Amino acid sequence: MTDVPMQMQQDTTNERFRGGSPLVDLLSRGGLAIAILAVLIYGSLASPVFFTAGNFVNVLTSMAIVGIVVVGMTFVLVVGGLADLSVPATIACGAILSLALQPVIGPVPAFAAAIALAGFCGLMSGLLIGYIGINPIIATLGVGTIVLGIVQAAVGGVIVYGTNPDTAALVKSRVFGIPTIVLIFLAVAVVGHFVLSRSYWGRWTVATGGNYSAAEASAVPVRAVKAGAFVITALCSGLSGALLGLTLQSARPLVGTGYEFSAITAVVVGGISIMGGFGSVPRAIAGLVFVQLLTNVMVLQGVRTPVQGFVLGLLIAGAVALDVALRRRGGA
Amino acid sequence: MSAAATALRMRGISKTFPGVKALSNVNLTVEFGRVHAIVGENGAGKSTLMKVLSGTYLPTTGTTEIAGVEVRMRKPADAQKLGVRMVHQELNLVPDLTVAENVYLGRMPRKWGLADKAAMVRDTEVILNELGAAIDPKARLGDLSISQQQLVEIAKAYAAKPRIIVLDEPTSSLSEHETAALFRILRKMKQEGIAIIYISHRLKEVLEIADDVTILRDGSMIDTRPADGITAAEMIRLMVGREVTNVFPKTPSDIGAPVLKVIGLGDGYNFRDVSFEVRSGEILGLTGLVGAGRTELARAIFGLARATEGRIEIGGKAVTIKSPAAAMRAGIAYVPEDRKDDGIVPSLSVRENISLPVLRKLSRFGRVSMSADRKLADRYTKEFSIVPPDPERRISLLSGGNQQKAVISKWLSASPSVLILDEPTRGVDVGAKAEIHRIIGELVAGGMAVVMISSELPEVLGVCDRVVVMRDGHAAAPVERAALSEERIMALATGEEAA
Amino acid sequence: MTPIARLVRYRVAVILGLTLLVASLTVPGFLSVTTLSLGLDRSAAIGIIAIGMTVLLIARQIDLSVGSTFALAGITAVMLQPAIGIWPAALAGVLAGAAAGAFNGLLSVVFKVNALVATLATMLIFRSVAHWLTDSQPVPGTDIMLSLALSKIYLEIFTLRSALFVGAILLLHFWLTRTVAGRNLFAVGSNADAAEASGIAPGRTVFLAFVFAGTLAGVAGVLQSLTTNTGSPVFGAELIVTVIAAVVVGGTRIEGGRGSALGTLGGVLTIAALTTAMEFQSVPAYIQQVVAGLILILLVVLDRTVRHGPRTHAAAGASG
Repeated sequence: MTDVPMQMQQDTTNERFRGGSPLVDLLSRGGLAIAILAVLIYGSLASPVFFTAGNFVNVLTSMAIVGIVVVGMTFVLVVGGLADLSVPATIACGAILSLALQPVIGPVPAFAAAIALAGFCGLMSGLLIGYIGINPIIATLGVGTIVLGIVQAAVGGVIVYGTNPDTAALVKSRVFGIPTIVLIFLAVAVVGHFVLSRSYWGRWTVATGGNYSAAEASAVPVRAVKAGAFVITALCSGLSGALLGLTLQSARPLVGTGYEFSAITAVVVGGISIMGGFGSVPRAIAGLVFVQLLTNVMVLQGVRTPVQGFVLGLLIAGAVALDVALRRRGGA
Repeated sequence: MSAAATALRMRGISKTFPGVKALSNVNLTVEFGRVHAIVGENGAGKSTLMKVLSGTYLPTTGTTEIAGVEVRMRKPADAQKLGVRMVHQELNLVPDLTVAENVYLGRMPRKWGLADKAAMVRDTEVILNELGAAIDPKARLGDLSISQQQLVEIAKAYAAKPRIIVLDEPTSSLSEHETAALFRILRKMKQEGIAIIYISHRLKEVLEIADDVTILRDGSMIDTRPADGITAAEMIRLMVGREVTNVFPKTPSDIGAPVLKVIGLGDGYNFRDVSFEVRSGEILGLTGLVGAGRTELARAIFGLARATEGRIEIGGKAVTIKSPAAAMRAGIAYVPEDRKDDGIVPSLSVRENISLPVLRKLSRFGRVSMSADRKLADRYTKEFSIVPPDPERRISLLSGGNQQKAVISKWLSASPSVLILDEPTRGVDVGAKAEIHRIIGELVAGGMAVVMISSELPEVLGVCDRVVVMRDGHAAAPVERAALSEERIMALATGEEAA
Repeated sequence: MTPIARLVRYRVAVILGLTLLVASLTVPGFLSVTTLSLGLDRSAAIGIIAIGMTVLLIARQIDLSVGSTFALAGITAVMLQPAIGIWPAALAGVLAGAAAGAFNGLLSVVFKVNALVATLATMLIFRSVAHWLTDSQPVPGTDIMLSLALSKIYLEIFTLRSALFVGAILLLHFWLTRTVAGRNLFAVGSNADAAEASGIAPGRTVFLAFVFAGTLAGVAGVLQSLTTNTGSPVFGAELIVTVIAAVVVGGTRIEGGRGSALGTLGGVLTIAALTTAMEFQSVPAYIQQVVAGLILILLVVLDRTVRHGPRTHAAAGASG
């Protein structure tokens, strides 16, 4: 038996925000809030356009689509599922089918069918990961490739255009000045937050990510919970893709490229460990807000796209390295 | 080998972690060719001291001399160069390499600059033969049983021709036979002049093998004595600093009707044709050597593993159990053997751990009722005096004994009629042990049926009403407590007495 | 070993054989030297990167940034041509790859960032640098003739890069199975704590594995740029899926500790044969994707589900 008192032998990957100096504690708890505040202050000083309602609505609109995916991706990381790399495929599935099926079954059923099919793809990944035990990276990569291929084959491998302008108008409409698409994102976020933090499914998700075998021995249906996270992500990205398709009124097969990385970036910058076991939707969205605001400031400042990418990349690496460092100091 | 008789002299060793003093001013002298046991309760500082010796920790103060030369070890490799080898309690082997490659890990022989596999296999075979272990050097390590792996770990340390060898609880996964073989090996090493440091909770073994005994308590050295002049009772007194009269108090309870009946259960591999019944108010002991199939049997009853033959009856009705959830519905609960791996979710609070199995019952429309959740946690925190009495505390911050109490509470929240406890007191200190026994006593007094798996024979004899001894996957008929002795159990477990 | 278990163990060879058989029956002239040579040459870039990825996966790491490193190294090699000449520039390109790998290693080993996250970030960083340097435009090289020379076929089947690939993978096989360092790599990937306790430095091993993977991605990128006489910031954007698929199809485990160079060779050749055959049959690219994805999933599922005999709880835990 180890003689070091329990405080010292905890699993440091799971141990956060307890003990350590008050400064470390403050930094790891409030670091993100401070960073967001800093960007807000810098942006307001640097650009007259930044701190305006119009600009914020723009930021919100551009983060709504990826934000919906972020909500799902949070479940995947928390449950210990590493990452869902099939997001580009499920987004394409949502976008292409919601447009392609419009003439056949009407706009609303097309919308629903697109999301349902995306969810079915998530179910496939989920079964492979949760029930057969395939590594999530491999499973989602494989399923993503297959799904994207099938969707393209179904529409003949071409760009699909919308046939119903009314739906585009609906998606682009505003309620009290807030774009509908933003409201949908907020609704998804609220539901996601409730499920993860208040429902038994959410507690199961955290427990499965925290210690799979202990959760299994506590009668938690771990396989289903793990699979469920991928279904949730697929439903989210299906919805995201359908909204994207309706907004653009056209859908290429590669429409979803990069969304998986943006979503993972947001969740990771939000301080949620890729090893699973803890995390919340608001944290992930805070990460997203920070990334989006920073990008927005860079765009307003005329920073070139490659430089933006460079800064964002450094940011992810830096944020995680800092988080790891704080956690180690906080844990010891 | 150095001419000096003193292999190791540690002087004034202290080790401070932020907020905790793990070792204070410990002196330890070990001679070549002797077995030096170190005993102490959990948290007494044994492992920390050995981590200083193995170069994992740098001591805050103090000096270490090996064969009369003062040394400073900053990493395990330094200690290994000086001839110090550890046999860890947690296996330190690589599952994907072969047995031979594991034995020579970190110091593989080379030929033409390449790994000399033939030499490794040959030499490993020789060493394993010397140790009396029938293991194929070319087998993949991960395919071996745990006790075989333990022997490989010992072979690995021995193959390095160490001057000092440290064994940390080496017998915890060994059978009686294998333990006897290990002791033969240790005596042989002794004759070769190797200094052996032997850490164990099993005082009987300590008395059998050790020449000297050092007792640690709360990070301080209490005494070093020759093993000849000390008894187990005296060691316990020095370890805990008080006289322990009755380690295993037994509360009498009324034994009623059979609750769980296992008939001809088997998984075709780990256990076969196992039958027994447990009555309400009864504690049934399930013992035997490690690897006899006890844990696999328990996991199958609880739906964590699949049984391929036989059936299970609860209250006279046959039940099908394919998952822990189904077991829970049938009224069976299981506290697993490995608390850290299977018992707790470290990132959750005590409250969240306790309510995990019954979460759905505490929910309406999918939402967990916080008040019901808190009430449950408060109740068990009080009832079992979990320390600190704060259910919102992260469970990983609790001591082993308190974590175990929380794990037991977790299952009581599901109000089972049968509770299966797998090594419930392993790795908890004497005080917490007594408390866990008291809790179990109260549960059976309340009419619950308890199956307790334990390797610790005094515990089995002290606590259980009847005992089933398992050997090689087969279960002997239950024996009444009155007809039992440690010797009789060992005879059944090793096959010297036919079941 | 049961016949099924044996079939599973050598599944790469089986699948490769089946692919070649079906392809030769359905595609006229598939087994001709020209076709094979072409297929081999086209798979060389993937293959060279897959060598580095095999080493990383065995060490229980992953590098998602190899595609970006591939582009960056190629751009370096082409852009420096006017200043320092073709061969020094090529060397500089390879070194750029090594530097990229070292950066990944630094993040992963020193800053303890999970490899998946670290290389996700550097994938973005390296790609951005590539766009930054080139203003998102392809850069032409100075010597068009060189690309023709590089495409020359030796011994009827090998081009320079396909020979390099096959040679390197045989070397890797030898290194992994015979050298102490190779065995230590498996030890680190299988149980880093045990390796460290035995005096092996896992941090150093992992760092070097990243540098190795970066260097090979660099080599592949430089060869690509020289062969096409172009450095482009969009080169290699879709590589990563194919590379990981090839390595995993070859039986290397993404959880570390298990893998083989010959398996990777089989995986790369299988995917090359499939792609070539389907292109000859004018199968649309998206159908090719479906087939490749199905093979990947099928092989991984086979690997997971077919095991020999039941195991004890403890043994299963120790290996899982």
